[in-house]
Amino acid sequence: MALCAVGALAAVSACGGGGTQAGGATADGGSYSIGVPTWYIAHLTPGRAGFSGVADAIWTPLTQVDRSGKVVDAVARSVRSTDQRHWTITLKSGWKFQNGEPVTAQSFADSWNAAAYAPNTMANGYLFAGIEGYAALNPPDGKPTTDKLSGVRVTGTDTLEVTLTRPLSTFPYVLAGTAFAPMPKAAFKNLAGYDRLPIGNGPYQVAAPGLAPGGQQITLKRFDGYPGAKGHAAQITVKTYQTDATAFTSFRSGAVDIATASGNDLSTASRTYAAQLVTSPTAAVEYLGFPLWDRRFADLRVRQAFSLAIDRKAIVDSLLQGHAQPAAGIAPDVIAGGGGTDCAACGYDPARARQLLAAAGGWHGSLTLWTKQEPESQTVLEAIVNQLRTNLGITSISLKVQPTDQIYPNLLAHKTTGPFLLYMGAAYPNIYSQDDQLFGSSSGTNVTGYKSAGFDALMDKAAAATTTADGLRFARQAGRTAMADLPLAPLYYPVSGAVHAKRLSGVRLGYLGDVDLSSVTVR
Amino acid sequence: MGSYLLRRVLLMVPVLVGTTFVIYAAVYALPGDPVQSLAGPGHVVTPATAAAIRAHYHLDDPFLVQYWHYVTGLAHGDFGIDLNNTPVSAVITASWPITVKLAALTWVIEAVAGIALGCLAALRAGRPSDLAVLGGSSLILGVPYFITAYVAQNLLGVKLGWFPVSGTDAGWPLSYLVPALCLALLGVPEISRLTRASILENLGADFVVTATAKGLSGTRVLLRHVLRTSLVPVVSMLGTNLGYLLSGTILIEGIFNLPGLGYQVFQSVQQHDGPTVVGISTLLVLVFLFVNLVVDLLYGVLDPRIRLD
Repeated sequence: MALCAVGALAAVSACGGGGTQAGGATADGGSYSIGVPTWYIAHLTPGRAGFSGVADAIWTPLTQVDRSGKVVDAVARSVRSTDQRHWTITLKSGWKFQNGEPVTAQSFADSWNAAAYAPNTMANGYLFAGIEGYAALNPPDGKPTTDKLSGVRVTGTDTLEVTLTRPLSTFPYVLAGTAFAPMPKAAFKNLAGYDRLPIGNGPYQVAAPGLAPGGQQITLKRFDGYPGAKGHAAQITVKTYQTDATAFTSFRSGAVDIATASGNDLSTASRTYAAQLVTSPTAAVEYLGFPLWDRRFADLRVRQAFSLAIDRKAIVDSLLQGHAQPAAGIAPDVIAGGGGTDCAACGYDPARARQLLAAAGGWHGSLTLWTKQEPESQTVLEAIVNQLRTNLGITSISLKVQPTDQIYPNLLAHKTTGPFLLYMGAAYPNIYSQDDQLFGSSSGTNVTGYKSAGFDALMDKAAAATTTADGLRFARQAGRTAMADLPLAPLYYPVSGAVHAKRLSGVRLGYLGDVDLSSVTVR
Repeated sequence: MGSYLLRRVLLMVPVLVGTTFVIYAAVYALPGDPVQSLAGPGHVVTPATAAAIRAHYHLDDPFLVQYWHYVTGLAHGDFGIDLNNTPVSAVITASWPITVKLAALTWVIEAVAGIALGCLAALRAGRPSDLAVLGGSSLILGVPYFITAYVAQNLLGVKLGWFPVSGTDAGWPLSYLVPALCLALLGVPEISRLTRASILENLGADFVVTATAKGLSGTRVLLRHVLRTSLVPVVSMLGTNLGYLLSGTILIEGIFNLPGLGYQVFQSVQQHDGPTVVGISTLLVLVFLFVNLVVDLLYGVLDPRIRLD
């Protein structure tokens, strides 16, 4: 209803479905264009698409995350469990795909099975690992013998029963992910074609002919049969760019109406387009991870010394020109359970840092720091190198840069020879996700090699908690436990920004810095 | 002439096989795992998914077997399937018109500006305009062309708003003009210098003296005799320049967001999308070989002293 009020103010009559479609060619609500990175539309199947504002416009999953970071029901009428392991999901009635097919429990089951089935090679398939039967669809060798998740049972047109391998109280958050969106029957006739021209159940539909091979834009049309809060603009052109910087340059010349801005462009934007800039802290943390397999970092005091020697505020203020927040935990308060000050060694105290390092036996030999091949990471790491040199007196420091798809495998194989600067975004807006990704023993992104029985026990408690409050409490305790061991030093929470044309209003960023396409209003 | 053509075409086959082999090997040797880059950073690839991807793209076969799969497909006109499951030929079909438009415009600018400036410099040798051309071309050669491109994009597109800064929405030639100008800067200095040197050399040649002695007008001597002969090395340079030009599109198309062949190569290299990189590169090699052949054939037309057989 709040969305409708905004729309009404802007004299848009489409809200509530009673819009008059007078005038033919120029539909109600107008149109705008947005520049996004290429990967946003490289794949448009729920199991393949990344998390993006475009995916959010095309699909509506069972649950959604509202603007305060809370999980709310979307297509689901209710998501319930008594033991956090067996979940019963009931659907609202009246939801339809953009081709008119009703959205049923079967539509979800079909989509999930397709995503989890290894031979379909969907990049998001791993997100279904917590559901029973995933292992059978992903055997260590050979072809799977079944293509259905045994843990997903359709018990009626509008009821679905899901069994997890172990309790997970944050499952409703997980369900809000794009990967968990439904697919209609038509999708399975031609999965490759569907990836180019999907039929979703969200506020916008991809207009034919979809994404052409080698193409770089798609057109979204408002789906007027959408039962939720309808999109404001009638049409959105999504244009892709190889980099944020190219998109921003295009915005400056007036070629696109909205573009995300990062790094230097964010500073330019705040000077030149202050009134047209929207910023929001991202549910992510930039951190310096320690190679716990390296004996030189086995002593907690060494890790503390490194952390205390880094002047986070200086990096944020001068290098990032204020477009970040110094971190004292693993996620900012834009997500449930975030914003904690769990990291005692996240202050700046060079004197104490030197003392701690000396007490641990001092530093011998050379030091190599690593990061991924990306301009901002490199600049920040250079600043850290200087601070470590000055504050800890480590003279021989070098810096190594690797592409993202190299640095992760190398870290996991323990081939990296020093601390590393990396970024971690929450998979869903709950501190549990960030805890699990960074410190969970089975996590593919736990690159420090951290393992703690105490942490795991608290995470198990959080997962089995029967109330949201309990779940958050245990997850935060788990985070504190890990932070006391300091396998990584949180540095800052990035701030994401988007600039928009003067004729647009209602531009909002989600918790991962994505523009909410359907709330944008054309004046 | 006929046997010369046949020999040249036959010679293309080993060159093509050799270059595809080198490109294929280079992509094969790229650091990083295509399976992991397909899944995205931080994503967990289960062994079963990895196996399915590997089987689909023959990644488990020895290198030579993979290459053989590729070349036999290529012989049937099949460029393979990219990592997005799209036929590479479809990507090429969608992208080549953009690169051709860009290259054609660049080539025209290079030829016209290069030859005109070269003539100007030669006919005014030693005078200020000659020195200006010389100084200007040294300056241009000293600045990497992608820096010029960013400057031009900001100045002409963003600040002055005279040209579109990215994309192909404004159509041909407007959308292509600034990128083509930036790309042409690669060739103009060389072509103008070569034209200048070549004209100066021919101005004193016997056949020019004879032509002038016959009483032909100065313009006629210049156009029919001096220029025609002087352009022989220039045409050959324009041909080889097309090679540089095609590799130049990789950066320029990225900066100006033109979804041509260069843009696709750039993107595919980042994504370890081997089939697309090799497919498009092979196509570019083919174009390069073809243009070189045309250039060599043009020699005979421009300079009757050169016989092709």
